[in-house]
Amino acid sequence: MKKLVSVFMTCCALFLAGCGAQQDDGKVKIGVSIASFNDTFLMYVKDAMEAKAKELGDVEIVYTDGKEDVTIQLSQVENFIAQGMDSIIVIPASTDATKPITNAALKADINLVYVNRRPDYLPEGSYYIGSEERVAGEMQARYVAEALGGKGNVGILMGPLGADNTNKRTDGVKGIVADYPDMQVTREQSGKWMRDMGLSILENWIASGDKMDAIISNNDDMALGAIAALEANGMKKDVMVVGLDATPDALAFMEEGRLDATIFQDSKGQGQASVDTAYKLAKKETVEKETMVPFKLVTPENFKDFL
Amino acid sequence: MANTTASAEMLPTESSKQKQLKSLISKYGIYFAFIGLVIFMSAMHPAFLTVTNILNIIRQVTSIGLIALGVTIIIITRGIDLSSGSVLALVSVVAASLAQNPDWHAKMYPSLPALPVIVPILAALAIGSLCGAINGAFVAKTGIPPFIATLGMMIVARGAALIYSDGRPVSDLNDSYNFIGQGEIFGIPFPVILFIIMALISWILLNRTRFGKYAYSIGGNEQAAFVSGINVAKYKILVYTFGGFLAGMAGLVLSARISSGQPGLGNMFELDAIAAATIGGVSHAGGIGTIQGTVVGALIIGVLNNGLDLLNVSAYWQQIIKGSIIVAAVVFDMRKNARKN
Repeated sequence: MKKLVSVFMTCCALFLAGCGAQQDDGKVKIGVSIASFNDTFLMYVKDAMEAKAKELGDVEIVYTDGKEDVTIQLSQVENFIAQGMDSIIVIPASTDATKPITNAALKADINLVYVNRRPDYLPEGSYYIGSEERVAGEMQARYVAEALGGKGNVGILMGPLGADNTNKRTDGVKGIVADYPDMQVTREQSGKWMRDMGLSILENWIASGDKMDAIISNNDDMALGAIAALEANGMKKDVMVVGLDATPDALAFMEEGRLDATIFQDSKGQGQASVDTAYKLAKKETVEKETMVPFKLVTPENFKDFL
Repeated sequence: MANTTASAEMLPTESSKQKQLKSLISKYGIYFAFIGLVIFMSAMHPAFLTVTNILNIIRQVTSIGLIALGVTIIIITRGIDLSSGSVLALVSVVAASLAQNPDWHAKMYPSLPALPVIVPILAALAIGSLCGAINGAFVAKTGIPPFIATLGMMIVARGAALIYSDGRPVSDLNDSYNFIGQGEIFGIPFPVILFIIMALISWILLNRTRFGKYAYSIGGNEQAAFVSGINVAKYKILVYTFGGFLAGMAGLVLSARISSGQPGLGNMFELDAIAAATIGGVSHAGGIGTIQGTVVGALIIGVLNNGLDLLNVSAYWQQIIKGSIIVAAVVFDMRKNARKN
């Protein structure tokens, strides 16, 4: 134990000597701009960031809510730069408009780590941790196609229109469906991530009387709303529902046999890796430019591993 | 009473039959527009005019409709309430946290015993009313514009909802709570019954009580209302409190409908509610508006959401169609009011 303490002290001393220019308290300061505090999944990423920071000890993190607006995030990043953060982590609301953020951080020579949504513009000095959104949609559709024997009508519940992950996940689903001549996407509508909207949309689809075989949702909450509507109309057994995120609520539905499948997006892995990368960058260690945290298909057979 | 119906009846009676028809159309313009929309949707899709679907429509607009009832009276006093969607969210997470099933693994208060359903209901209505009262107090006592006062509450209440729930959904609510959003009495969804009752109460308040009479007077001419001895501050606070109360009720209904309280619920609902009231003929210049108009305004929004989904109109086009119809309805209504003056 004594040895451990002395090793720790030495590390601290080395660290302090190594970066005398840094803050007096010697802590690594990280600013985090999260696309939206309303997004349940991102709150789990934030949890993992907090846990990792606690584990590292000498890290101080400031979290800000981007309110689904990339211009708000730009102001937040500008504030982080003014505050002299060592590293900045951004979960961007839109990946098409990150250039000003990236350039501002690089110009100020501050380490920049993007998480969860990969911007196309990722020049030297900026880093990415996350998954390929499109793959999640492909996994959903492939699961449905196999379960339905390659034929049937699919309805897609989309996130906010124009949002990056909405587009990529939906494209992923459509790309796979197109491979099966007897399968088609018959309906798509935006439920804006919300459970109540997923419920209302499904009520309307059911009322239309059109035949539906599967609902593929861009996230779990909308899928859970869809399930409520199908159950209320006694149609759950005829229509399979697949969500995305594997939130605790969704896993509970699966345990009750109400949700057919979801995709596990590793919030823990993304959150921890992002703080770890930002921390290492602040200490001038070398890190991978892109760290991929893979998706996993969650079904009633394996869901217990994700509880 | 500076009511629309009152002023419309004061039109000269010697006009020809054609003029009478014109005034009939302009007076009930929004109702004709609604009927036209219903006929159109029925012709376009056979499933539209079925009992199930009509109940769907009303159930889906209940939350926005409840908020719209309150905001109608607020706009009549020349105010506005931007906070209702956020208040709905705050109420939903607090009420849900008091109604969770005891065996849920992510229970917010693990040691909380099963409470009678009246506890979350009272908590919800109290919080909603309190938020409304705070809005009203700022508007009435400090003189800051209602837009700013309620904008502040919109941000604060959303923040409070996020803090209280830690950004997570508060799920797995007990069945007696879920009844508020999912239950049925004689085949009629409970939220629909609740909405009808609240619409009737709002109508009575506005048309048969001093509260309503003063609301019209304050909106028509605040100075005159004050001079004639009306306690303007008191009635403004009451009007906003009633609005908050209804937002709280909407929070109960919506969270019970999905069996989960969520800090992101009700996003932008205030705008849909204001749109419903405006379509229904409530004038932002104050002093003009009716509950029946607002109910029809809310139903128009509901019919649009439902009908466009039924017809499988692309999600992108739906937004353009909805926005255009809302503006068109109000332009129609403005012409009606302009003609009267």
